[in-house]
Amino acid sequence: MSDKNTPFFVGYLAVPGGLRRFLMVASVLVIAIFAVSGALIGSTQDAPPASGFRFDYGRQTVTGVIELTPYPLLRVTEGNDLIKPGKTLMLTSAGKSGVDMRAMGLDGKLATVSGVILQRGTIDMMQLRGGGRGLKAAEGIAPVMETEQLGRWKVAGEICDGKCLNGAMRPGRGLAHKACANLCLLGDIPPVFVSTQPIDGSDFMVITGPDGTRLPTMSYDYVGQFITLEGDLERRGDILVLRMDDTTLELTDQ
Amino acid sequence: MSVKYIPVQWNRNKWLYDAVMLAGVIVFLWLFLFISPELLSHEFPLNPQIHNARAFGACAFVMLTVILCIGPLARIDRRFLPLLYNRRHFGVMTLFVAITHASYIMNWYFAFSSSDRYEALLFANTSYGQLAGFPFEFFGIFSLLCLAILATTSHDFWMKFLTPPVWKHIHSLIYFAYVSVVAHVTLGVLQDQQNHTFTVIFTGGALAVAGLHAYAAIYERRHGDRLGVDVDGWIDVCSVAEMRDGFAKIKILANGERVAVFRQAGTLSAISNACAHQNGPLGEGRVLDCLVTCPWHGFQYDVTNGRSPAPFTEMVPTYNIRLSGAVVQVHRDANPPGTFVEPVKIEAAA
Repeated sequence: MSDKNTPFFVGYLAVPGGLRRFLMVASVLVIAIFAVSGALIGSTQDAPPASGFRFDYGRQTVTGVIELTPYPLLRVTEGNDLIKPGKTLMLTSAGKSGVDMRAMGLDGKLATVSGVILQRGTIDMMQLRGGGRGLKAAEGIAPVMETEQLGRWKVAGEICDGKCLNGAMRPGRGLAHKACANLCLLGDIPPVFVSTQPIDGSDFMVITGPDGTRLPTMSYDYVGQFITLEGDLERRGDILVLRMDDTTLELTDQ
Repeated sequence: MSVKYIPVQWNRNKWLYDAVMLAGVIVFLWLFLFISPELLSHEFPLNPQIHNARAFGACAFVMLTVILCIGPLARIDRRFLPLLYNRRHFGVMTLFVAITHASYIMNWYFAFSSSDRYEALLFANTSYGQLAGFPFEFFGIFSLLCLAILATTSHDFWMKFLTPPVWKHIHSLIYFAYVSVVAHVTLGVLQDQQNHTFTVIFTGGALAVAGLHAYAAIYERRHGDRLGVDVDGWIDVCSVAEMRDGFAKIKILANGERVAVFRQAGTLSAISNACAHQNGPLGEGRVLDCLVTCPWHGFQYDVTNGRSPAPFTEMVPTYNIRLSGAVVQVHRDANPPGTFVEPVKIEAAA
């Protein structure tokens, strides 16, 4: 195609003199393309939000009242230096598994939980130890815990799984993370709504289906995406719980 | 060219080629994996598994982009042909990088649940009815399958077994794989980024591939071969004066096949333009001692009978040829591969 005088390359023979310089330049250029793109892409990734597994706190053991929203929460009544009474913890097991089966039968009862803390902003989750060491019924009569109704709200933001969002994955939200989040939610990890604006002082809230049911199946199609929805909001200790009206869920452009 | 199949045939140029490409990949991964975390200085660092997955995924994209730029570059400027020479090795290397990317994804995002991770890949996100939130993993799976098919069939055994035309059609999957990678990235990571450096590099790479292919097509249309006019089965190629010793003129026949007419040592011969190896353009090769060397991989054929020199056994069709005054003509019907055709002496005919 090009000049007939271009030196002719035959793979199993020595490279013609006229081509050597060109191929040297091409080789350096190819390596430079890889180097520049590797350095640029690698060094310009977004910073994950402040969150993470807090092994540095050590294993925490507290007692409180289990509430199924239907996702299990612990309303702390006997805390420790880190986790004070009045705190509400979302609960999870190791991996992509919730504690539904373990918490079943303990709704409204006192329980002692033990595990490590995942933390993001104002929201905390505890990953329980395995078996009875992580969650067991406690002696005593459970106090009645107050639930403050905050009325109906229209909120904008994103549904995530509470574990990845709290730092099990960094980053743990967004479309690229959607399949992972869905897998967590299918594994009974409590879902969380991340609001674009603080609502009653909090950017994060546990989200449930209508009337405190499990997250509707249709909402899995919108996990990790920017949506608006309406629902009834209530406060349980220091955590908000949003009971979504699934008929109001709309996908929104950011 | 080989008389038997061995897993990898090496020569000095292949070693150099692979060394350069491997150096590029190593530099990319080294900068991404070990230098960039220090440059990022995130207070809460990315999970190492996610960082690794991104590094290998981005590297596979750059590798595919380079691979697909080599083809049109070689058509526009023959000095790029050596980059085409050992491209299959680079393609196999790309598969391993892409598999590493997929492994980090599978062992992180799709692990730790009670479900099988490969089943989870298929059911965790089924939003196929929407563009935003579409399971972009699907496109990644498709690309990986394509790369796996290309890598496993890259050896010459498969080309011989499948025949070069079928093999070439199968290996056109690389374009579908690339489009699929573009969809995979566009519907996935690009949706979540705040910093758009990767977006710029990604878009630039994809546009370079598309632009170079478009430019090469336009270039070939302007400078390429013309369809011959068929009169009683004979097709004018060119004036004999236009032919240069040791080179060919290429003519397209009505059935779409190309014939390469060679002038060498005062004679004219015509064979198929398609190399029996990978259908490379024999007419762009050089003739020495009656043998034309394919510019892609160095396969050789005697231009008088279309046969590779012994002990090699490759053969291409030949064409009958004649001089009509000063005009070189070939007959439209190809002879069976390996058929000897008496070369036309230019001096005798003149």
